[in-house]
Amino acid sequence: MKRVFAVVVLVVLAVALFGTLLTSTGVAYAVSSADDLQSVQSSGVIKIGMEAGYAPYNYRQTTDANGAVAIANQNGEFANGYDVKVAKYIAEKMGVTLEVHALEWDSLINALNAGTIDAIIAGMSPTEERKKSIDFSDKYYESNLVIVVRKDGNYANATQLSDFTNANIVAQRGTFHVDALAQIREVNDSVQYDTFPLMITALKSKTIDGYVAEEPGAISDCAANSELMYIDLKNNENGFATSEGDTQLAIGLRKGSSLTATINEILATLSEDQRAVMMDEAIEQQPVESVELGFFGNIGYILGKYWLRILQGVGTTILVSIIGTIVGLAIGLLVGFLRTLPQSRTKAGKIWQRVYNFLLSAYVEIFRGTPMMVQAMVIYWGYATLSGGITMNTFVAALLIVSVNTGAYIAEIVRGGINSLDKGQFEGASAIGMSHWQTMFSVILPQTIKNILPAVSNEFVINIKDTSVLSVLAGFIDLFAVGNIIILGTYRTFEAYLIISVVYFALTFSITRILRLCERKLKGKANYTLYNSDIVSAQQTAKGE
Amino acid sequence: MCETILEVKHLSKTFGENEILKDINFTVKKGEVISVIGSSGSGKSTMLRCLNLLETPTSGEILYHGNSITDKKFDVRRYRAEVGMVFQSFNLFDNMSALKNCCIGQIKVLKRTKKQAEEIALQYLDKVGMTQYINARPSQLSGGQKQRVAIARALAMDPEIILFDEPTSALDPEMVGEVLSVMTALAKSGLTMVVVTHEMSFARDVSDRVVFMDGGIILEEGTPQQIFTNPNNQRTRQFLSRMLSEQKQN
Repeated sequence: MKRVFAVVVLVVLAVALFGTLLTSTGVAYAVSSADDLQSVQSSGVIKIGMEAGYAPYNYRQTTDANGAVAIANQNGEFANGYDVKVAKYIAEKMGVTLEVHALEWDSLINALNAGTIDAIIAGMSPTEERKKSIDFSDKYYESNLVIVVRKDGNYANATQLSDFTNANIVAQRGTFHVDALAQIREVNDSVQYDTFPLMITALKSKTIDGYVAEEPGAISDCAANSELMYIDLKNNENGFATSEGDTQLAIGLRKGSSLTATINEILATLSEDQRAVMMDEAIEQQPVESVELGFFGNIGYILGKYWLRILQGVGTTILVSIIGTIVGLAIGLLVGFLRTLPQSRTKAGKIWQRVYNFLLSAYVEIFRGTPMMVQAMVIYWGYATLSGGITMNTFVAALLIVSVNTGAYIAEIVRGGINSLDKGQFEGASAIGMSHWQTMFSVILPQTIKNILPAVSNEFVINIKDTSVLSVLAGFIDLFAVGNIIILGTYRTFEAYLIISVVYFALTFSITRILRLCERKLKGKANYTLYNSDIVSAQQTAKGE
Repeated sequence: MCETILEVKHLSKTFGENEILKDINFTVKKGEVISVIGSSGSGKSTMLRCLNLLETPTSGEILYHGNSITDKKFDVRRYRAEVGMVFQSFNLFDNMSALKNCCIGQIKVLKRTKKQAEEIALQYLDKVGMTQYINARPSQLSGGQKQRVAIARALAMDPEIILFDEPTSALDPEMVGEVLSVMTALAKSGLTMVVVTHEMSFARDVSDRVVFMDGGIILEEGTPQQIFTNPNNQRTRQFLSRMLSEQKQN
């Protein structure tokens, strides 16, 4: 009962601790937005955040053709599109270098406030809701909402909103498109989609009847997917009623940022005509083939174009899993070892023991009791927020999270392994005067490691699969993230995930076999050599000399 | 024969509410072989385990050459190296060969070199007749073989005294003999031994002194001849007649 109580107290404390950490820093960020202009100018670099997955505003390509800019946090990827062109224009006018960061849509505002990026140029509309947490520049584009449908579908001839009353139309989660959707019928937010490529795939597979898009995006999508078309409701009084704040696109900046005025001045020099030219170019340059290849054709196309990326993804996944498991094993052994130390004989020792036992069980309970994806977000963004915008290298962050998480699981495995050893092993060592450390290193740990090896290799296989959740760290390109990149570049969702799943399976299956082989080897010989007493006495005399 | 190695004074041990040992007093002199007999649960093993502090005495004193072993300044590890212990369940290290089992304590505790340790280990493994099996793991040995290695392990530490905690109780009957003959040879060589045992023949024929325990106290103590031929206590008589008739049958 006492133990249960202790655990409850511990969890409450931990939650409270995290809570205060986040709220206290949420109000006063370490970065002062008044120095934004100065810091950009002194560093000579402006860091712009975008999805790089929202054509034609921002999309990705594999080369720097058409003036594409390398994505700073994703090696080998290049961003282009209307947003990139505007960003280049601004950087040029300011006389600084442009650095593009690819981030998930939902983490853009976080990243801005944490100081990871200086501005958001991501086809974002300055809605009232967003204005609560960030400032916006003047508009840099204005568009109107349309609905993308199939050419051969029931809604190809629709002319007004009321035609869609019974249609299954969706929109991108977290955008004002969802609010616009409410003008057709009641909206259930949970059935909305996260990305445009997903909506395109859903429409192509007839899961949905259409989706809401802004006109430039719709033009891109239809150019890349020949079976799609869009219904323009612009000059139609029965179309979407939207506010200016929604259809306009503006650049997101930190609250009170000194960059806002500078950027507004620069935008003022960009004429309507120049903007139109940029948009046309962006649509034209979008590197998506609209050829229909069929299922096997698509698989072949993806493999041909992305095989190297897939291999790199496999490398990253295996590397993080291996290192994470090994470091986790080290952590687990240390924690398991500390938790099984015999009770100290002195009073101070006892208190110290209580303290670290409490901390260690807090570590184990918290990391086993929360999803790794959530841990990743808390650690990564917590560090970025507290340090005032310095982000961890995502690979290092991923390694850290996998190691610490695996450590918590292995700590329990080790504890079980040590406890399951016969008490006689400890007594036998004590009885010849060995210290606790000597007993541990010479007798207990070798046996424990051998016993827990199957469980540890199981953790390794689990890590291969579970590191996929770390793709929430933008820039951590493991096998799963490669799948997402393929989709952003090809709009072939099913085929991409199918390939990725086959590769995952091949990995885990072959690694399981290899590990089993290793375990069998480690069990050792079943035989031993009988020594002839003559040989032994000969050895003895030899040694005696 | 007169130097006192261990002196136990008013030793008692309780586990929770249960008083396992009550006011135990006895001494061990150099070169003595003492057999501790008594029925199961009489506290024999607990007493032996108190002697090398595998159990902490609740009260009373154990003096080793006049120094209290429960004193905070007392070097327990060095003491344990000088007081060997052979367990009922062998407690060999499962991850080591027979040879390594006999070396590890010498190397880690006595700081002997690996070469020295191996020489000494081989010498004692030879003494217990286990030279052929120096590369075998404990799991590959029979019970009697394991116990002989365990005895060699204790001997390799050059102990002043060895405590035996029912060394033959976990063995198949046909293996008891090989272990007992090793112990008998040790006794004859002058090693100081305290042996908790159910082997009445060993207690009678090999030991210098027999201690009979019952219900956590030492009920009777004397030469084998006294105890086996003319016990003072009714309980001793009952116990011995039961044990001797059982062992005759076997």
